[in-house]
Parts: sequence; structure tokens; C-alpha cells
Amino acid sequence: MPGTPSIQRPTQHQFNPYSDNGGTILAIAGADFSIIAGDTRQSEGYNIQTRYAPKVFRLTDRAVLAVNGFAADGNMFVKKVKQRLEWYRHAHAKDMPLRAIARLIQTMLYAQRFFPYYVYNILGGIEEDGSGAVYSFDPVGSYERETCRAAGAAQSLVQPFLDNQVYFKNQVPPPGRAHPTHLPLRDVLDIVIDAFTSATERHIEVGDGLEMYIVLAKGRTLQGVEAAQEISARTDGERVFVLRRDLKKD
Amino acid sequence: MNTVDVQQLKSGEVNLGTSIMAVQFEGGVVVGADSRTTTGSYIANRVTDKLTYVHDRIYCCRSGSAADTQAVADIVHYYLQTFTQFIGRPPTVHIAAETFQQLCYENKDALSAGIIVAGWDKENGPSVYNIPLGGGLFRQPWAIGGSGSTYVYGYCDATYRDGWGRDETIEFVKNTLALAMSRDGSSGGVIRMAVITEDGVERLFVPGNELPKFWEGHEVLPTVASVGPPPPVVPMVVE
Amino acid sequence: MAVAAAAQTGFDFSSASRNAYLAERGVKLPNATSTGTTIVGCLFQDGIVLGADTRATAGPIVADKNCEKIHYVTESIRCCGAGTAADTEFVTALISSNMELHALSTGRKPRVVTAMTMLKQHLFRYQGHVGAALVLGGVDSTGAHLFTIHPHGSTDKLPYVTMGSGSLAAMAVFESKWQPNLSRQAAIDLVAEAIAAGIFNDLGSGSNIDVCVIAPEKTDMLRNYIMPNERVQKEKTYGFRRGTTAWTAEKIRSLIINEEVTQVGNEAMDTS
Repeated sequence: MPGTPSIQRPTQHQFNPYSDNGGTILAIAGADFSIIAGDTRQSEGYNIQTRYAPKVFRLTDRAVLAVNGFAADGNMFVKKVKQRLEWYRHAHAKDMPLRAIARLIQTMLYAQRFFPYYVYNILGGIEEDGSGAVYSFDPVGSYERETCRAAGAAQSLVQPFLDNQVYFKNQVPPPGRAHPTHLPLRDVLDIVIDAFTSATERHIEVGDGLEMYIVLAKGRTLQGVEAAQEISARTDGERVFVLRRDLKKD
Repeated sequence: MNTVDVQQLKSGEVNLGTSIMAVQFEGGVVVGADSRTTTGSYIANRVTDKLTYVHDRIYCCRSGSAADTQAVADIVHYYLQTFTQFIGRPPTVHIAAETFQQLCYENKDALSAGIIVAGWDKENGPSVYNIPLGGGLFRQPWAIGGSGSTYVYGYCDATYRDGWGRDETIEFVKNTLALAMSRDGSSGGVIRMAVITEDGVERLFVPGNELPKFWEGHEVLPTVASVGPPPPVVPMVVE
Repeated sequence: MAVAAAAQTGFDFSSASRNAYLAERGVKLPNATSTGTTIVGCLFQDGIVLGADTRATAGPIVADKNCEKIHYVTESIRCCGAGTAADTEFVTALISSNMELHALSTGRKPRVVTAMTMLKQHLFRYQGHVGAALVLGGVDSTGAHLFTIHPHGSTDKLPYVTMGSGSLAAMAVFESKWQPNLSRQAAIDLVAEAIAAGIFNDLGSGSNIDVCVIAPEKTDMLRNYIMPNERVQKEKTYGFRRGTTAWTAEKIRSLIINEEVTQVGNEAMDTS
């Protein structure tokens, strides 16, 4: 029959060191805050390996890193970034600035150009000028600063939603008015939650739990955002909070 | 070279990994099989009946692809029914075996089926036919088949004797299958047997926890008691 | 006299060579919706209980959150389908049609083995290319019967069965809890638990639990018997202001057609 693959074609078998562990991450920058979020499901194929495996990590009081892709590489990468930041603290007696962490991540990723970390990184936090910032990376270190970014399994579902709701793409502003350049914290949180509950509905690898890290610029408060757990080392500078939500488990 | 490997199953196909057997004795035949059906490493059926009725005194043991062997057995079953109606007498075991052989040979590039046909008829009394993969036809006093059979050829050669009675034959089949099942990962579960004589077919069943036991090995390394208590378990440090 | 062309039945393979050509040039074939699926069935004291989840997937995307996987074959025979969605629906509908015709021509209530034989022979003919993995159950004059049918056409007859990507999770429930002569409610509960195991542990399965109880007197299709995965309220409402969508040109056209009626002759219409 035409179309039937010919039998006994030579096949090459090779060990594959990578695997895809699903899940999705995203980050949105506000004027004086930044939100970095990720679901907590870790899967392989049709199997759930765990319902709680964090993908978002606090690096310093002003930097949070989300990693997505191959979980083993992700965890090892975060470990090595944290080690480099520790060394920086010992050498300079202060935390590394966000834009410097971004450049560090680029060089660390590119160092593995021919055996890459199979990981998409999104770095969020507060710049030295006090503005919210998001940096997104590809697995070999190409990066750029953005206002918002989604990555991972449901990137194709979430990013268009973010483009529409954060960048107001395909939306004409009311006559005589312009779209806001930055959204308030409450609105951004709502968008993040809705992005994840919606991705959970339509993507099988997204679900179980949601962790949202909120990084606030120096002097700014949560302003009515419900009980978020504070995890910052100091309370007199930039501050980091975590907010957890359940997602559907099917 | 473009050859077809008939042993290769289509991906996702249900496989009868199998240990099957048939032995002739004075007044009849004993057929036997394990009960395991697998798809890859998953046991799709742990109580399969691989001894398939094709006529009143003729059974077949199926090994290879479940779909292929069921389809072939269904066709032969249908053919033997028609035969009985037209000829007015039951078919001989040889006729049944030839029908199987023809189907297996003519369609050898599409089938993965290893079948043992056994039974009793008026002309020849008890008989056992082996139809291995390519579609050959061989009459034998005893036949073993399926992936598990490779482990027990030596046992069968060393043990089998002509002139056994019914009970000795049943023991031989039971022991052979138990040995095959213990060594072959694709075989297992329970042993199903059938004794086919002029008087009828008697079905026998050995549950998985009552299989005959043979040497199962013992500890070569020193036992825990002689070494003393094991060291306390310390969890691996993960950050 | 020319020989009459053989009657064309079944599938149409006329696109096969075109598709092979396209595949050679690197054009990927569209991927069919598959029902990742957990489907199960179990015997109880007076019949069969079938169960299924309701998620349909296309790769990692949920194509349908509430599809029906328990298909009608006859009033007292039903069939759960896993595998390629289109194949399970068509093969089931085809056999359902043939079973009705068979019942009409024999004047008897059709049997489960008849449906099983028709299905296995159809699937065997297509050598696994019709990707339907089925759980067939029903009650007839010879009692209650439950079968699994694999895509290549092999069948198994068992008191409790599972199929689909969630079959291992569901079978774990059956292997630890099933026993002979369950009551109707105990069987429904067990089937629901087996499906739930698939829904929560297998990514290919999800959403709701459908149950079908087939007893000698009647069949009960319990659609969405349990709904353990309802969507939570959204945080925001996403309405768009009128005029949000940009446009490049505007054209307004009247949809009313004006007709001028000219009376010909003076007689009124004959309405007698």
C-alpha cells in the first residue's frame, strides 16, 4: 500500500539525556512591582511525577527566577545561579542588581552552548531605579527585557492573552484616551490567576497548584492584596511575597 | 535486503508471550498453556484461555499475536463446522492442522502465529501437530511453543517417555509449564490444561499459588542476622 | 460483456498516493483527535456497569471537556471507546446499524457476542489502522457479558476490564476492590472510583465521570454522574467596549429588498 513505511530501515538508537516536564511560567512587570508565577505540576508523558514541584525561586530580595522545561536541568541551573549570587555577596557585601543577574544568567546559559540546559528562564524583580522588570531567556542565553512574558507548555495559550490584556494588542483605546502603560497590582494578579485557571482548562500538563511571587519596590506596600506570605530577608528594602492558589488536579 | 521479520509485532499489538504445550498419550492428548497476555510490559489479561476449541475433539494452543491467532482460530472453527455439515462426519485432527497450516503459510508475511493443534479422531487416535511461525506442519508426540518454550526444551527431551498414561502426562505438562513460566517474563499466571480423549474433553486448572515448585535459589551472601543490625537510614541531603 | 466494476464499499483510499507524495515532501498529516481516556467496565450481580471520563485531547491540548465516550450499540448493549475519536465513533455507529438490521432480520434480541464478533472482524480487517480500543458490555438472552477489543482485533472476556491511557490507574482500583456479585450501587461506586483514579492520575483523562448501568430490564445512562472538576469563577470579567476592534473601511448596505408589485388582471386569487 502506498504510504506504508518500508520495513527494516536502519535505525539509530541513542541515549536521550533530556525530557520535558511540562508546566507553565509567566511574569508581568508593573511600575513599581513585578509578579512571577508558575504552576506546580511536574509531569512526564501522561504521568504526574508530583503535584508540588516549585518552578519559581527567590534569588534575592529584588530578584525572582522562574524555570521551565526539563526539571532536572532547571533545578541544577537555579542551584548554580544561587551559588554565584552567594559568591557575589561575599565579594561585594551586597546583593547583585537585577540587570547584572540577567547578564550572569546569559553567560551561564551560553557557557553550555553545545550541551544546553533544556530550560526557559524568566527573571522578574526590581531594577536599581525602582522599576518593575521582567527578563526572558531562551535555553542558550539570548535575552531581552520585557513587560510581560509566558513560557512553557501553555505558552501558546497564555502569551496571546497577555498581549491582549497587558499590552492591549488588538484593542483600540476609547476616543481621546490612551491605554495605561502599567497596570495596578490587583489587576495584574487577577490576570495571572485567570491565565493559569484557563491554561489548566485546556492544557493537560498545567494544573495542581499555582505559586505567585510578588516583588515590591522599596517603600511600596501590598495595598489590600490578600494574605501573601512575606519571604524577604529584610523589610527595609525591596520585599518579596508568595501567594499560593489551588488549581484543578485532573 | 528487504526481508520481513515475522517475529516483530506491530507497535501496540497485543501479544501472547506464552508457554504452550501439547502431549500425546495412550488414549488421548493433554494440551496446556499459561494464562498471560501482554501489551509491552503491561499484563492485559492474567487469566487468558489460550486453549481454543475448534471442534468437539480438537483444540489449538495459540502463541504470537492475539489478534492474528484468534482470527485464524475463528476461521478454522468456522471451516470445521462447515466440513462436518457437508461431509457428515467429524474432521480428523490432521484436517484441522492442515487448515491451520494453509492459513499460516499462505499469509506468512501478515501473520505472527505459532500454533499447536491437538486432539483425538477415529482414524488416528490421539495426535499432536506443531505449526511454527513460517507455516510448516509437523506431527510430533509432544510439542512446546511460545517464548517460554525455549527454556524447557532440555527438560522435555530429558523427561519425556513413550507409553505414559493420562496422569503421568498431565504431571509432565504441568511441570514443564511451571518451569517455563518461572523463567519467562512473558509467561505466567495460572496453568490451564485440557485432556482430550474419545469420551470427551476434561478441563483442568492450576491456580497461580499452587504451581509446582522447583529449585528457587537461596542466599549466597551472609544473612542479616550474622552481620548484626543494619546501620540507621540517613536520608540523602537535598537542598 | 464487460465485467461490472466491483462494488465500492468501506473506506476510500483515493487520497493515499497524494498523501504519500505530500509526506515525502515533508508535509505533516493533521493529527486526529484522540481520546486519551480512561474507560472501564465491570460485572455485577444482575448486569454490567460501564464507565468513562469525558476528556478528548489533541496532543497536549484539551479538545473537548465534556465528550461522550459511552456509545449506543443496541438498547441493552453499549460500548466505551478509546483511541482515535473518529474511529471509535464510526466503528461503533457502523456496528450499531448492522446490529439493528441483524435484529430485524432474525426477529430476536441481538447478542453481545454478535457485536463483539462484528467489531473484531472489522478491526482485524484494517490491521490496527482503525485505531479503536473498546470496552463492550451488555445483557442478552445468554446473560451479562463484558469484553475488551484491541485495535488489531483481539478480544478478551473478563469480569472487570479497563482500557485507554488511564487503564493502569483504573485497573489498580479494580484489582484491589472488585469482588463477585456486587450490588448495583456498589458496582456504580467502584466504576466511578476507577474512572476517578484515571481522571486524577492520568493526564490523558479528565473532567467528568459518565456511567452506564445495563440490567436485564433496562439500561440507565447516567451522563455526568459525578462532576469533580468544575471550573472556578474567573477573577475578572472580560467584556470589550463597543468600538474596541479596529477597522480599515466602513460600508453600510441595506439588507431590505424593496419590490414594486404590479397587479396583472383584476381577479382575486381563487381560495375555494
